[in-house]
Amino acid sequence: MSKACLVDTTRCIGCRSCQVACKQWNALPADRTATHLKSGGYQSPPSVSAKTYTVVSFHEVADAKAPGGMRWLFTKRQCMHCEHPACASACPTTAMHKTLEGPVNYDPSKCIGCRYCVWACPFNVPTAEWDQLAPQIRKCTFCTDRALTPETINEKPVDPQTAERQTQALSMPACVKACPTGALCFGERDELLKEAHRRIERSPDRYVHQVYGEKEVGGTGYLYLSSVPFAERGFRTDLGEVAYPQHTERAMKTVAPAVVGLGALLGAVYWVSKRREEKEDAAKV
Amino acid sequence: MEYAAVKGRLLTPVNALLALVMLAGVGAFVARFAFGLGATTNLSDTYPWGLWIVFDLAWIALAAGAYVTAAVVYLFGGEQFHGIARSAVLMGLLSYNFVVVTLLADLGLPWHAWQIAIQRPEHSAMFEVSWCVGLYVSVLALEFAPVLFDRFGWERLRDLWKRLTPVYIVAALGFFVYLMSHSPLWGVAALVVFGALAVILPRKATASEGGLPILAVIAAVAFSSMHQSSLGSLFLLMPDKLSHIWWSPILPLYFFVSSIVGGLATTIVLVALTDWAFGRKQQTEVLAGLARILAGVLAAYLALRLGDLAVRGQLGPAFAQPYFLTEVAVGAILPLALLVPLSRKTGAVFVLGLLTMGGIVMNRLCVVLLGMNLNGPTPGGSPATYVPSPVEIVLSVSLIAALFFFYLLGVRLLPILPRNGDDEGAHELPGHLRRAHPENAAVTSPSAGAS
Repeated sequence: MSKACLVDTTRCIGCRSCQVACKQWNALPADRTATHLKSGGYQSPPSVSAKTYTVVSFHEVADAKAPGGMRWLFTKRQCMHCEHPACASACPTTAMHKTLEGPVNYDPSKCIGCRYCVWACPFNVPTAEWDQLAPQIRKCTFCTDRALTPETINEKPVDPQTAERQTQALSMPACVKACPTGALCFGERDELLKEAHRRIERSPDRYVHQVYGEKEVGGTGYLYLSSVPFAERGFRTDLGEVAYPQHTERAMKTVAPAVVGLGALLGAVYWVSKRREEKEDAAKV
Repeated sequence: MEYAAVKGRLLTPVNALLALVMLAGVGAFVARFAFGLGATTNLSDTYPWGLWIVFDLAWIALAAGAYVTAAVVYLFGGEQFHGIARSAVLMGLLSYNFVVVTLLADLGLPWHAWQIAIQRPEHSAMFEVSWCVGLYVSVLALEFAPVLFDRFGWERLRDLWKRLTPVYIVAALGFFVYLMSHSPLWGVAALVVFGALAVILPRKATASEGGLPILAVIAAVAFSSMHQSSLGSLFLLMPDKLSHIWWSPILPLYFFVSSIVGGLATTIVLVALTDWAFGRKQQTEVLAGLARILAGVLAAYLALRLGDLAVRGQLGPAFAQPYFLTEVAVGAILPLALLVPLSRKTGAVFVLGLLTMGGIVMNRLCVVLLGMNLNGPTPGGSPATYVPSPVEIVLSVSLIAALFFFYLLGVRLLPILPRNGDDEGAHELPGHLRRAHPENAAVTSPSAGAS
């Protein structure tokens, strides 16, 4: 069982409460913003960074029914929390790792700062703190640090009722808690997948018949529903369904047999050639 | 084979200039840590790796000269190349050490590097490369040790080295195999195979190099082929970014075979340059032999490369790609066509060696930067551009200067090059520096020498 989040983009109004809640919970500083009109959407800041773990992208598509003939597409983007994360398989120290509960997490005390995770991620999510002397990698944590029952509030012990309420309030990521339209749902991945397909079935005209993240790169913890093809929202649709770690797994599995085999082969070649030499020398004498 | 230090002044104008460049490099290294990675480099979330990684990958491929030469000389009976073995090992040892310096600068949190020693990731190519390079450097150091024994007459240390090297190597290989497979069974298998080799082979090992166990050469080849190929495996995780002209499921094999190409080409250039720099007679036969081997490996590499492109239907796009054309047409096809017919012309072989080196450097440059199709952090569409910063450039250039500086120093201070019959000065080394070891004396028969 692993925790996941379903993003029904048809319910998103682009308010960016999730973006703000994320900044607040993770105590992230402001990012420099600027208007930019590139292909990746009109949002500002334009992308996730070490200071912004989640971003709502603003794309525009032609739609005769919409005012002005253009319609906004809002999409919350963040770490996809892959079922088989490329970043974790790349990491030489397991600083980046997949937890049993679902989130892909990062332990800065193990990180050597090689940034291989930044390269490896097919969604280009992990980012580095380039303005720090000791730059750590930053990305969405799925708010793993939230599911805690506080022992004290304002330095006073917490009564069981309050503790229960607190735990419930914190039992989901800050972004999900903040979403005013129900565009974000937090829960078990297989249940959310069922729910996503149920919504498509119930309103076949409202959605494209695909749950992004169900099969992409072997499945992700963030699942998306959309009214338009995902490419129009800036998603990559050419990533395939092979789990990324498999790309290197095969190569890495051959290392041990290759070392032993190569050693034995070279030893044999050497032994045979020396023997021949010795025989030739003996024949000469 | 008898080796001797080249006599001559240590402080030459060239050395002084190299030292000056190195000093600038020290400044760049200090600046990197004083002001931080982001402030001193032009790296970004779009280009998390830049010049330094290109530099490391290219240099490691060229430094393959050490293991390729060792394999040719000691494993495949290339006695005629004996005279270049020590210079190739010195070059390799220096190269790997300077690559580590770049890596330290490139890592964001290098003071956590020890974590690699205690963590056990499952399929990380970066983990494999780190361990493999580390162990290979230790083997290189063991290969180089006889030079110091010869120079300083440390005979008791030599005896110890002779006895312990096989033990260390068997243990290192066994441990490495266990670490990579996560399986004690494989670890034991490695211990058994290499233990058996350690028992069987020494009796047949050459007594050259003051008794270098042949197992050390086998370990050097094993560790090298593994980390060279794993450097290619690093990029297996980027099928969505790296152009499929360069990305291939057999990238590890590409990197391994091209490291042999790069190593041979660099050895050719090194031999020619060394003889030229010290006014020694060019070793036409040695260079011709290396050129023919290089042509053979180049042919195999090209066949592999073009065959793989054809199978994956990328041959057309590849030949319409200027970077690919530069890399393969100028850096591989041209040398392949000319190396054999011109193998006895030292100047031509030197230039063709340089071209081949250029082809390998271009390949690594394409794999890390030029062949990448980058879209910037999610949701994409706002990629940064990348041009190396002054600090990145100065540090890289200074490490190349350091390589030449220490190589020249090594050749002048240590018995690296074969005693040259024409070089009268080389014979005048003080006697205490060349204390003969009984075994060495036996090896120094005229039949063992190269021309």
